[in-house]
Amino acid sequence: MDYLAPATLDDAYRALEAEDARCLAGGQSLVAMMNLGLVSPARLVSLRRIEALRGIDLQPDGSLRIGAMTTHAEVAALTVSAAGPALLAQTARVVAYPAVRAWGTIGGSVAHADPAADYPVALVAADALIEVSSASGTRRIAARDFFRGLFETALEKAEIVTAVLVPPGAQGAGAAYEKLSPVAGDFAIASVAAIAGRTARLGVGGYATTPIRLEGIGVSDDALLEAGRALAASSEPSDDHRASAAYRRRVLPELIRRAVRTALIGARA
Amino acid sequence: MSDPVRAIGSSPPRLEAGDKAIGRAQYVDDIQRPGMLYAALLTSPHAHARILGYRLDAARAIAGVKAIVTGADLSGSRSGGIIKDESMVARGKVRYVGEIVAAVAASDPQTASRAATAIELDYEPLDAVLTIDEALAPGAPVLHEESASYVKAIQGGGHGNVVFETTVAEGDVERAFAQCDVIVENTWQTQAQHNAYLEPGGCVADVDASGRITLYASCQSVHHVQQRVAEELGEPMARIRAIAMRVGGGFGGKHASNIHSIAAWLARAARRPVKLVLSRMQDFEIQRSRHPARIWMKTGARRDGMILARDVRITLDGGAYADESPPVLAFALLMSRGPYRIANVRARGQAVYTNKLRAGSFRGFGNPQASFAGESQIDELASRLGINPVELRLANAMRPNDTAFGGQPVASCVLRECIARVRDAQREAPPLAPRNGRRRGVGFAVMSHISGLMGTAATVQLRTDGSIALSTGCVDIGQGSDTAMVQICADALSVPIERVSYAPQDSDASPYNWKTAGSRSTYMTGRAVAVASLEMRDRMLAHAADMMECAVVDLELRPGGVVGLKGVPKTVGFREIAMRSLFHSGGPIVVTHGFVFDGTGFDPKRASIHQLAFANLGVYTFGAQCVEVDVDEGTGQVEVRRAWCAHDVGRAINPVSCEGQIQGGFVQGMGYALVEAMKWNAEGWLITATLADYKVPGVLDCPPEIHPIILEDPDPTHPVGAKGIGEPSLVGAAPAIANAICNATGARLRTLPMTPERVLNAMDSRS
Amino acid sequence: MSQAKRRSVLTVNGEQHHVLAPAAATLLDVLRTGLGLTGSKCGCNHGVCGACTVLLDGKLARSCLTLAADVGERRVTTIEGIAGDLDFSAVQRALVESGAIQCGFCTPGFVITLTELFARDPHPGRETIRAALSGNLCRCSGYVKIVEAAEHLAGGVR
Ligand SMILES: Cc1cc2nc3c(=O)[nH]c(=O)nc-3n(C[C@H](O)[C@H](O)[C@H](O)COP(=O)(O)OP(=O)(O)OC[C@H]3O[C@@H](n4cnc5c(N)ncnc54)[C@H](O)[C@@H]3O)c2cc1C
Ligand code: FES
Ligand code: FES
Repeated sequence: MDYLAPATLDDAYRALEAEDARCLAGGQSLVAMMNLGLVSPARLVSLRRIEALRGIDLQPDGSLRIGAMTTHAEVAALTVSAAGPALLAQTARVVAYPAVRAWGTIGGSVAHADPAADYPVALVAADALIEVSSASGTRRIAARDFFRGLFETALEKAEIVTAVLVPPGAQGAGAAYEKLSPVAGDFAIASVAAIAGRTARLGVGGYATTPIRLEGIGVSDDALLEAGRALAASSEPSDDHRASAAYRRRVLPELIRRAVRTALIGARA
Repeated sequence: MSDPVRAIGSSPPRLEAGDKAIGRAQYVDDIQRPGMLYAALLTSPHAHARILGYRLDAARAIAGVKAIVTGADLSGSRSGGIIKDESMVARGKVRYVGEIVAAVAASDPQTASRAATAIELDYEPLDAVLTIDEALAPGAPVLHEESASYVKAIQGGGHGNVVFETTVAEGDVERAFAQCDVIVENTWQTQAQHNAYLEPGGCVADVDASGRITLYASCQSVHHVQQRVAEELGEPMARIRAIAMRVGGGFGGKHASNIHSIAAWLARAARRPVKLVLSRMQDFEIQRSRHPARIWMKTGARRDGMILARDVRITLDGGAYADESPPVLAFALLMSRGPYRIANVRARGQAVYTNKLRAGSFRGFGNPQASFAGESQIDELASRLGINPVELRLANAMRPNDTAFGGQPVASCVLRECIARVRDAQREAPPLAPRNGRRRGVGFAVMSHISGLMGTAATVQLRTDGSIALSTGCVDIGQGSDTAMVQICADALSVPIERVSYAPQDSDASPYNWKTAGSRSTYMTGRAVAVASLEMRDRMLAHAADMMECAVVDLELRPGGVVGLKGVPKTVGFREIAMRSLFHSGGPIVVTHGFVFDGTGFDPKRASIHQLAFANLGVYTFGAQCVEVDVDEGTGQVEVRRAWCAHDVGRAINPVSCEGQIQGGFVQGMGYALVEAMKWNAEGWLITATLADYKVPGVLDCPPEIHPIILEDPDPTHPVGAKGIGEPSLVGAAPAIANAICNATGARLRTLPMTPERVLNAMDSRS
Repeated sequence: MSQAKRRSVLTVNGEQHHVLAPAAATLLDVLRTGLGLTGSKCGCNHGVCGACTVLLDGKLARSCLTLAADVGERRVTTIEGIAGDLDFSAVQRALVESGAIQCGFCTPGFVITLTELFARDPHPGRETIRAALSGNLCRCSGYVKIVEAAEHLAGGVR
């Protein structure tokens, strides 16, 4: 294996042309997989030195542009009131543990597309855009289209996730992320990200290989529980050693109810 | 005379804590030696298969490969504990996925693992049995066809896949049930829990010019490792030396392991030092687990709450090799009465082979399984009787001078005090605020355990400067025995602990000790230390009497290493005594005291016992635990909010260490109760072989308040009255939590771990 | 994986080291076998246990999930660099004196994690302490005495 740490995106694109080359961001997923012998890339292209991948900026349209190399800790530390970014900040706070949050990046999480990861669920709920770039240019892909399957995304060879764009969400809406995991800090068994005002928009994780998006859900308890029951019945939740599909179906209505209830508290505040 | 500063009962920091805090404590993986090779293992991909042949050429051809061992290299009889059914690498057959089939030593870890994967085996896959039922089904594939030829220290079992079976009985169970007004009967199921000590197993084997092998091991007994390695390698024990490193946790999982023998074999073959440290994944796959168990239990009582009878059947899933299955089963049966006065009890048990990782000793040794069923059933009985469960326990609890199940007399018993203490502590604690969507429940469990077993010894030696060299074979696996031993010795001789040195464990030098297990170190080895130290005191007093020309009875030890004439300021120091003994008369003062547990054994007139693996156990300890839980009605998640754990330790040598054992044991028991589970897929592959899949509780999963309540009821057979606390603290957690969940929700869980899913299902099926 | 070795310069505990290691070598590996700094422990090598925790530019990091080659100019602090030789920091002293150390295998990770916490917040409350320690597993202690040691150091309980 060889290792390169280019200082610019252009150099990175070139480095990624090589056979079986991969980006290295925080390494919090990639190095773990390498240590377990699950992957052994021929080349690692570290994104650590690329300034263009850093920084969090407010865009003219009110959305927040989060550079791909922004760490979970940096997102968790955001104090924002707009529902979209607030949802991301809340989500980042429940990803793993402090040491992982200190170096794991939003770009890495998005590119990795672990079906149990937290950011993808929140990004789908927030109607975020994933900005990806390569030598041939930049595209912006809606989060709901970006995640394609288990560890599968719309990224093409030698494309880099450069940023995530998070729209503010409806005026006065609140946000919440509800995560169920076997022990604290662990990957989710099931999770619900909610942006809620008069109606709720949801991202739901654990019920398909990619997050499911629901929109225009009524915010009464009955409507939420009903939406949960309907989704539980129609989806194919993961069925694994961490939890059965039946359990995931069983808790979904309540998770949705809780996420939206918490979001609405934020909305009123 | 002023009372000397007592080391016992104070809590000086652990002797080695400083080294651990600054990262200088030496664990196995920290060893580097010139020319050291690295071992890698090849393991079986089949749950059950015949090995038809090996192809080693590709591996041998890799530059840097210095030695390879496979089952084809082994001859002679099999090794193991009570039933010799194992070998360090598989021979003839593989019996679980992950079983070691070959090992390689090479110049660096990468080369070693490349070579290991280059080894090819031809297998003939066989049908596998993965559960108790499959193992016992008529016509089931048999794991050990040649069982009859194995060397066995006990009989019982050996037919089909039955490793061992036995019965313990007292009274007349059938007749007693006929007199009961209320009878409860149910079946419980428990899972495979892994020790998950933070340091994966490992060792370094070195070899000298004469071919003698030295092993540096993460282990629970140098003597046990030495014996096992000698057996596997066909060497006399004199040619194997085992040295204990600092051990990063053991909990029962790190007594003899195949990896010690493999490293020794490779070192002997390569004539170079070899390091074999398991990855976390390998440790999960090839060390040992707690026995999964199925427990059927029936208990009957009179309307007034007097429990008359209990009938128990325990079936243990022992995995592919016998290991400690026979004694774990026997101990589970002996503990299945619970610490109650029940006159009529019958406990029958079987341990069976299955095509999975061997199950073995793990903190509690069968007691956690038996107590989960027993203490849950007491609550069910209480509810049927309409009696408060704490009152029911108090009414039936053992008292001093009762007998344990099996007939062993129990002189001291403070069980009722333990129960009262946790009950009162919980009642008096400021109540926690209720939480929306969560149901609060309180649960109790009591337990007894033993502290004892087998043989041990201690040696004390007076140095020229009057300080003391203490040596035992007791390996400190984190529980604090080094410090406790020194405290006991220092106290017996009235010297500050700084004047006592403690030798690391080395089979060449340390007096024999069976192992760090059975909550026995403080009781057994501590007792040997106390007796040896007191004998040394007497030898010194005899010298002093000569030197001061007086009678021994007129002398006394004074703090700081001096002997004084009673009522007079005249003294001689330990230093002068040492000098006299070394250069003038008497010879060096070296005292060794060794003994084998000498308590009264089982009573054959009282109890009929078939084929137990031991004649007597140890002294009994008692405890009670109380927990408060919150159960999330929507998700089924259980959070333990607070716990109180009252345990009789006889005498707390180091109270802070005792508290640490209680808190740590409780949390390990809580993990057992709620999250920890090893799982295998239909092909017998362990699917929880990382810490990402096998979850253990982190700090946020644990209650911030785990209140240890230490009771001291000195044991008369120990010079300072101490008993063990290593294991009991784990035993009560699962049933106490189950009872609290039931108290909160009305749902009774009988399967471990009590996952959110099982909690919700149990809530659904409430009648 | 047989691999060409790479040269890199690491700043560890204030000293520069030239190391030669495969590009896939983790920082933990290089610290332990390359530099002989064996205080950082390997409890899992997949990021869960926290025994390998070090500071990178003062921030907590899993050294098992950090490639040595990727450390670059970031300064590494290991357990060996927390206090002077055979000296104890306040955190280390608190853990020793509170009886928070049993087998000790987790201890270096806890020392590093608490050191980072106290550098940010000299008076953390119980919940802050628990949250900070959430990524470090201890199989022996039940965590109670570790949290107590930190509370003690924070000056006052709760
Ligand atoms: C113990 C532990 C617990 C965890 N718990 C959680 C959890 O609860 N929830 C959760 O969501 N996550 C969890 N994670 C994962 C964590 O969030 C990772 O940080 C994240 O998944 C990957 O981010 P990274 O920056 O470390 O990426 P890396 O590991 O460096 O890379 C991951 C993958 O993405 C690719 N990649 C990285 N950056 C880019 C980019 N900009 N463009 C294109 N490709 C890229 C890499 O090539 C690689 O394939 C946990 C990790 C650990 C070790
Ligand atoms: S060894 Fe790095 S987290 Fe376990
Ligand atoms: S002291 Fe053993 S793991 Fe923490």
